[in-house]
Amino acid sequence: MPGSHPALHSAPVRQAPKGMAAAISILVFASTAQAAGDGSGARITDKFAQPAFAELQRAAAATEQEIGALCTAPSAEALAKAQGAFAELVSAWGKASVLRFGPLADEHRMERIYFWPDPRGIALRQVQATIAGEDESATSSENLAQKSAALQGLPALEFALYGSGADDLAGGAAAYRCRFAEAIAGNIASIANELLAGWADGTDFTDAFTAPAADTEPYRSAGEVDAEIVRALSTQLRFVHEAQLLPALGADIGKARGKRAPLWRSELTFVLATAQLDGVRDLLNAAGYESAVAEETSWVPGAILFEIGTARVALDGIETVPSDAFADETARDKIAFAGFTIESAAANITEKLAAALGLIVGFNALDGD
Amino acid sequence: MSSGNSLPSTEDDGPLFLGARLNSGSHEVAVIDEHGRDLLVLPVPARGHSFAIDSARRRAVAFGRAPGRFAVAFDIDGGSAPHAIAPPADRHFFGHGAFTPGGRLLLATENDFGAGQGVVGIYDAGKGFARIGEIASGGIGPHEAVLLGDGKTLCVANGGILTHPDYGGQKLNLDTMQPGLAYIDVETGDLTDQVFLAPELSRLSIRHLAIDALGTIWFGCQYQGEPAQRPPLVGRHRRGREPELFAGPDETLKAMNNYVGSVAVDASGEIVATSSPRGGLVAFWDAATGRHLGNRELADGCGVAPLERHHVLATSGRGAVTDLSPGATGLLLPPAPGRPAWDNHLRRMG
Repeated sequence: MPGSHPALHSAPVRQAPKGMAAAISILVFASTAQAAGDGSGARITDKFAQPAFAELQRAAAATEQEIGALCTAPSAEALAKAQGAFAELVSAWGKASVLRFGPLADEHRMERIYFWPDPRGIALRQVQATIAGEDESATSSENLAQKSAALQGLPALEFALYGSGADDLAGGAAAYRCRFAEAIAGNIASIANELLAGWADGTDFTDAFTAPAADTEPYRSAGEVDAEIVRALSTQLRFVHEAQLLPALGADIGKARGKRAPLWRSELTFVLATAQLDGVRDLLNAAGYESAVAEETSWVPGAILFEIGTARVALDGIETVPSDAFADETARDKIAFAGFTIESAAANITEKLAAALGLIVGFNALDGD
Repeated sequence: MSSGNSLPSTEDDGPLFLGARLNSGSHEVAVIDEHGRDLLVLPVPARGHSFAIDSARRRAVAFGRAPGRFAVAFDIDGGSAPHAIAPPADRHFFGHGAFTPGGRLLLATENDFGAGQGVVGIYDAGKGFARIGEIASGGIGPHEAVLLGDGKTLCVANGGILTHPDYGGQKLNLDTMQPGLAYIDVETGDLTDQVFLAPELSRLSIRHLAIDALGTIWFGCQYQGEPAQRPPLVGRHRRGREPELFAGPDETLKAMNNYVGSVAVDASGEIVATSSPRGGLVAFWDAATGRHLGNRELADGCGVAPLERHHVLATSGRGAVTDLSPGATGLLLPPAPGRPAWDNHLRRMG
């Protein structure tokens, strides 16, 4: 009978579970309509989403233009300018990509701009094959938009501009590669245009996000909007850690593999990660939760911002190139510390921030269960 | 923690139910009776998921939640010490499994993450659950697996989602997912039958299974595509045919929010219950026709198991235990902040 073995016991009802940490998701049942234009969704649209996607669009168009100039008049300087534009594009993407719902979730736009994680190196294989085969159909952004997501976005463009053989771009010996790179940048600019249009005032999505009501889709209440924001914040933080830092970090220093990190060829790995953290910070700030939650929980957004800032400082302080950093003791410590604070911030978002916003915490609706 | 509590007798041979739960920050698995009363509680090292049950020996194996690094075999009546089972270092459990008839072998869905393929691990219950081999699951991301009535065919839901412990919970192959059902002869390891969802439903991950009175497989899905799309989440498969999907009413489909967490039949096998914790509801379906029969609300409800004819026992993440049928809710234990949070699955023994 129960009790006959020390490991088996009866279970009196005890206190509410604590520390559900990774094991929660957000469910919303409240359906109070948000007055038009004064909620978190309206603030985010105005202060963060529209400017962030406008910057993404600008940076993509600038990259396309610089690569076009490189193709027309190849030189080391033109290549450097194209690469500089690419770095700005990576930063713009890092910030905007926290908005992974709505327009970015449609039409596979997220993966088409940033095909990651890619543990099997699909992008590398496809890009190399495209360049080697000089596939003409990949040199127009319209055609490219119909091809594999792995060929369409930043990882593909990075290889074109920085991967083996990219030096030939400066000398004019890589005309095809240059046109391919230009098409990728053009495709990203087109997708950015679509994102900007999707977030424009007056679309069905923006109406629902800024003024949710019983008859709006996909959000019917302010609580559903807040649940989406909370999910986006925590998902982006976990993505930075789990998909970008952890795989390269490995279980110990002997298993570190910097080339599993994104954008190591351009040495933009940590530029991307810090921009992503900035996006989380800016989204959280734009949401204005500090004044929206009750006084006793008004410290929560600030505490999360502090953790994000701490992680950012750690990553920003890495002086080793990304391909070596994960196996470098000093840099590795900074990466691991950043990972720890990122996870902590994510846990605080799904637990404390969600609770402060009155979102009901569910136990059973996690992806993959 | 031993107990002087007098425990309800199990000698009346009433049905028993097994579930994993979180109780005051500690993970445990529990055996309860049809009234929701605890009969046995066993601490486990991390979050549990589902169970394989050997009714003949009154023994069960609790699996850790994916990426599961543990399973625990235990005596349902608490008669002997629990026995820990670990997967090999290069495999992890997905949280589901089944015993072969007579309880000789334990079959567990596992991830061969090095190869990026699903396998079914085979453990010999008579040899201390030593792992004696594995067979291909016929796809990526096998989740629930059930043994058919012939006692030798295992139906595996290959959810199609590639994961690797190095990448945490990240999904690595959304653009190439190919969810399907595989029928495997566990005596020979042969893949005897396999069906896939239509290409336009490639992101509809099949995850949970139940077998109805006629031996038809019912399945519940989780959609990985664009949230605004709402494909049907419930389906059935009869061998030799294509899988059929049932959308139900628009409002039900919307409420389920692209997520079914668990599937069970009632005690007669005539109706099917699908829980959606995201929607806070359990939907009922007529197994013969696929007709939607109604919903019952259950906030964060997920565990469902056969109770009586046209009734299931259901549990929630807020501590509720309830008797549900298409038209009625019979609350046995109400949700309350102090109660254990029941995890995804509830299983019936006897």
